[in-house]
Amino acid sequence: MKKKITFLLNSETRSIEVESGDILLDVLRDKLGIKTPKIGCDMGDCGSCTVMLDGKTVKSCLVLALEVEGQEVTTLEGLMKDGMTPLQQTFHDFNSFQCGFCTPGMVLSATELINKNPKPNRKEIQEALSGNLCRCTGYIPIIEAVEDLIGKGKGEGKEKG
Amino acid sequence: MTNYKYIGKSAARVDGIAKISGAARFVDDLDFGPNLLFAAIVESSVAHAIIEKIDASEAEKMVGVVKVVTGKDFPYRFGLYMHDRYILAQDRVRFVGEQVAAVIARDPKTAKKAAKLVDVKYKELSPILNIEEALKEKSVLIHPELKDYTHVPWFFPKANTNVAHLRKVRKGDTNKAFQEADFVFEDTYTVPRYAHCAIEVHGAIGLFDHSGRLTVWTASQSPHTQRHLFAEALAPLGLSHKDVRVITPYVGGGFGGKAGVSMEILGAALATAVKGNPVKILWSRAQEFYNTYQRQGLTAKIKLSCKKDGTITAIQNNLFWDAGAYVEYGANVVNAAGLSATGPYRIPNIEINSYCIYTNLPPGGPYRGFGYSEFLFGLESQINEAAKKIKMDPVEFRKKNAIRSGDKLSYGASMNQSGLAEAIEKAAEAIEWGKDEKSNDPQKAIGKGFSLFWKAPAMPPNASSTAFLKFNEDASLNILVSGMEIGQGYQTVMAQIAAEVLTVPPEKIRIENPDTDRNPYEWQTVASHVTWGCGNAVKRAAEDAREQIFDLIERALDKDRDSLFLKDEMVMSKKEPGFKLPLKNFVIAGIGKDDGTFRGGPIVGRGMFMPEFASALSDPETSQGGKPNVHYTVGASAIKIEIDKETGKIKIPKVVLAVDVGKALNPDLIKGQVTGGLLQGIATVLYEDMRFDEKGKLLNPNFADYKIPTAMDIPDEIVSILVEVPQPDGPFGARGVGEHTMIPAAPIIANAVEDALGIRIKSMPITAEKIVLELKKQGLFEQTKEEYIDNK
Amino acid sequence: MSILQDFDYFKPTTIEFAIDLISNNKNATILAGGTDLIVNLKEGTATPEIVVDIKSLKDLKKIEFKDNCLIIGALVTFTDLLESVVIKEKFPLVWEVSKTVASVGIRNRATMVGNICSAVPCLDSGPLLCVYEADVNVRSSKGKRKIPIKDWFLGNKKTALKHGELVTHISIPFPNQKTGGCYVRLGRYCGEDLAQVNVALLAFANNAYRIAFGAVAPTPLRANKIESFLNGKKINDHLIEQAKELIPDEISPITDIRATKEYRMHMAKVMFERGIKTAVERLNGDGLEYGESLV
Repeated sequence: MKKKITFLLNSETRSIEVESGDILLDVLRDKLGIKTPKIGCDMGDCGSCTVMLDGKTVKSCLVLALEVEGQEVTTLEGLMKDGMTPLQQTFHDFNSFQCGFCTPGMVLSATELINKNPKPNRKEIQEALSGNLCRCTGYIPIIEAVEDLIGKGKGEGKEKG
Repeated sequence: MTNYKYIGKSAARVDGIAKISGAARFVDDLDFGPNLLFAAIVESSVAHAIIEKIDASEAEKMVGVVKVVTGKDFPYRFGLYMHDRYILAQDRVRFVGEQVAAVIARDPKTAKKAAKLVDVKYKELSPILNIEEALKEKSVLIHPELKDYTHVPWFFPKANTNVAHLRKVRKGDTNKAFQEADFVFEDTYTVPRYAHCAIEVHGAIGLFDHSGRLTVWTASQSPHTQRHLFAEALAPLGLSHKDVRVITPYVGGGFGGKAGVSMEILGAALATAVKGNPVKILWSRAQEFYNTYQRQGLTAKIKLSCKKDGTITAIQNNLFWDAGAYVEYGANVVNAAGLSATGPYRIPNIEINSYCIYTNLPPGGPYRGFGYSEFLFGLESQINEAAKKIKMDPVEFRKKNAIRSGDKLSYGASMNQSGLAEAIEKAAEAIEWGKDEKSNDPQKAIGKGFSLFWKAPAMPPNASSTAFLKFNEDASLNILVSGMEIGQGYQTVMAQIAAEVLTVPPEKIRIENPDTDRNPYEWQTVASHVTWGCGNAVKRAAEDAREQIFDLIERALDKDRDSLFLKDEMVMSKKEPGFKLPLKNFVIAGIGKDDGTFRGGPIVGRGMFMPEFASALSDPETSQGGKPNVHYTVGASAIKIEIDKETGKIKIPKVVLAVDVGKALNPDLIKGQVTGGLLQGIATVLYEDMRFDEKGKLLNPNFADYKIPTAMDIPDEIVSILVEVPQPDGPFGARGVGEHTMIPAAPIIANAVEDALGIRIKSMPITAEKIVLELKKQGLFEQTKEEYIDNK
Repeated sequence: MSILQDFDYFKPTTIEFAIDLISNNKNATILAGGTDLIVNLKEGTATPEIVVDIKSLKDLKKIEFKDNCLIIGALVTFTDLLESVVIKEKFPLVWEVSKTVASVGIRNRATMVGNICSAVPCLDSGPLLCVYEADVNVRSSKGKRKIPIKDWFLGNKKTALKHGELVTHISIPFPNQKTGGCYVRLGRYCGEDLAQVNVALLAFANNAYRIAFGAVAPTPLRANKIESFLNGKKINDHLIEQAKELIPDEISPITDIRATKEYRMHMAKVMFERGIKTAVERLNGDGLEYGESLV
């Protein structure tokens, strides 16, 4: 069963025809060319497909494309309308990534956290990011970047050249 | 000490912006247009069987199905070190999930639906699911044709058995040493199978065009090795190496799992079946678990003897590896571990047998640590037990027996220079070894554990790296290499090396991911060797460019060549302080002469490195005589844990890893390796574990039941200590460190658990549950409980 | 990965139409957060002909406290629960449970009603609703029905919901006296995990206790014997030791890939002990803050 959906994707109204069984993640990647949400597990466990739906992070592999009719989907592409965000810059300065595959999802989850709770403590940061798996970094550089951004870091934020 | 401008500095990653901005493209992100086909795999539902019949007629009838292929379409054996694998199963299947047929269709949904319609009839054979069964006298043979397989000269398969390779190491007289020793300790340790769990799954897209050119895009650590294996396996179709092109974009994590060739062979082979159409195959997370390489399981039977003064006199280490259904890569893990299973200790009498055993479980293969993590669990547990039994401090015991530069290794070659002693001192100091610590909470026990570690790159003696370096008009650089940026920061370090030689800052250097047509040869990005091997090649390429520059300046401007040097992207002369010629003025354009002619032209550097001193040939009975390992990277690690005695749960307040990196080319990147590697290692000890049912089916091919750590599962503090005793043949003295950071995780924790509770867990993982059940078994639980109540 | 099964998707804007759809189709399924359903659709373990997305039924999005009763609508997510002032103040145990459910990206979608409709043995909401003696409120073309939570869970993934019925909300009566609660859940590590054992406890000012376990039987269950043993008594170490001896009579854990029955049984006792102490401490105004893990 094909249906047309219309929704806001990174502040732009998009209309597209989808099948009832189409998953938001696949539609974004394969039909709309939005590649930053990644396929990691396809079962909602790894967080690499994270996107924001009406401002809240969701696992886009667990959302039917039909469900987002009339809603607003934001991906990393949308976050960067005016270039890299301060959070991304801090991630860069702290080497808060290695292979970079989990990075888009991690950035979105961290962004949601500081939008909601501008001064999280370490435990709150850990909890907020615990749905995004990273196999490379051991998470510490990610947590430290968030702490630095909100002014709770150890002052190790470095100028890199 | 030399003052470097770029080496030793934590330069920003050259791949940083691409990854943080999401610009980095991974294999599944590439677009191939509306002509792209998709393949779904028909997998074996049984662990061991003869394929009697494959009926694909129903699938072929489906609209959208382009082709169904089976093993008979590709009757070729292939493999990295031993040709024992098939593109699709031939007459038999050897593990649950093995690829039996492939359905190629216009869209993934049709391919998957059609794959379910392919009917395969099996005649089941009894599956061999453990090493005991495999080694039985009259065991069913998993590879009856083993004796006919081609393999590298340093493998010794045992025909008509399930032993695919046996690495023997003999030195001195262990029997005599055991008889004469004051103490002999003997025990068995087991390690289950583990999964790499890179967050990006494996994927490949193949295109065999009508001109006979095969291009394969893969998520891989090994583009050139893949090209070689694809060309070799598909040679009967008339392909030669020049016709095969492998393109590898950014890789979303490797950890060894994307080394060699596993599922990617399907991308290459299936493309030849649908000429002119790109065909894509992307593994699901479940397939990622059961049909790529797994870390092999190990049963280690260790016997160790020592004198009263703590001198180790002999070791017998029998390593039985559950290597799985195909061992084309995994047999070399077995080999490497066998050669180094003494650990970093000077032991005069050695007997090691490392058995590569076929089982009907998924193929084993390379995993960060390449066998060393596995044997070190038993070895360093046993070392600790020995020290405690003879009432010697475990760190003192290790210091006394630690290998030193120049000592003879088990196979006769000499140990390289190393800062092992310094690493031991520093790790012990950082963890406050010897300071007795007690928790304020009577329910909690604190323990400390210590371990040494080592690892050598396991590679063929002629594994080599090459680099091309091209100057651009503005004196920026493009470097062409075929190592893979798998997250470790390889590209950044290569840029730093070239920057140091040519004085061009790293941010003016771009390194793209490989395309085997354009980028020169690299063996593979494995074995913690690319910083060393490819680093040498890049350094030589930069030096080659620099020499060309000096040649040109001498020739065109008549300057004294020996006085020339590079600084701040300019050529200068010691003799003429006023002479400053910016590189950008001539590296493409050349140097203009008064008559309007030019000298020189684009500067292109070339560098190559192969360790010409290595040899894998040695006496098969003793391993004496060769130099199979180029060098060892060594270190020491220590941990402090806090165990909840009631729940068995372990918390890690602090973990320390001190490693001799030779020279830290980029300290932040190494710290990244330590943090990430330790956590990966710790997870294998505390909760990761592959479980199979009684028919050989993997029970937890998902993150719901194969748990990898989250941001909530980190130690409170990770201390990385970088020791720098230079590697003479390394670039600026560097050696590799990528794998080493996870190797000691198991023994430090096992030893800390013993320290805290007095129980020795001899099987991994050391789960909370295992600790509690062991305490109960030993009657310690009730005792602890009573003490607790008394204390109150 | 798209879903192989074909189905029709409906997003009704009235509850009546939603009920029509599910009553008139033998093979219909309700979609709210989808965090379980989409997985089941992908795995082929759910094969509905129609999927009824109820997210347009705004009335079901309510968290309401009136007539001394908490209403949790079918569209209320765990994030909604965590962000609700009334939950945090009046039902801190609901807050504590919600905090342990999966991770943010799931909690932003997953609903408590969905959780009890999936009815897996390890569900987080099960023991919680048992100790609150909540009711599940359903509607069908025949009218409304209130199902006490004790009658709701019929087995592994089986509930008392009948064909044509839609769960509209859960109602939780506010205890008519002061309580202290505690939820303890056992995972294999600190990150998101399916509970191997979970226990919810509610201690009342009059020395009454309600205790419910999960993941140790096909359904969540009230520990009736322990409750009657403890009721009316002030908790002390000796009493707890005696109560722990009753746990084997209450639960029947199994060995599976996540834990052995021995460890589950052992941990049920440990968790009960820690949980009851904390619940009582909280009742008395001290003890660990809600949300702190006890294991």
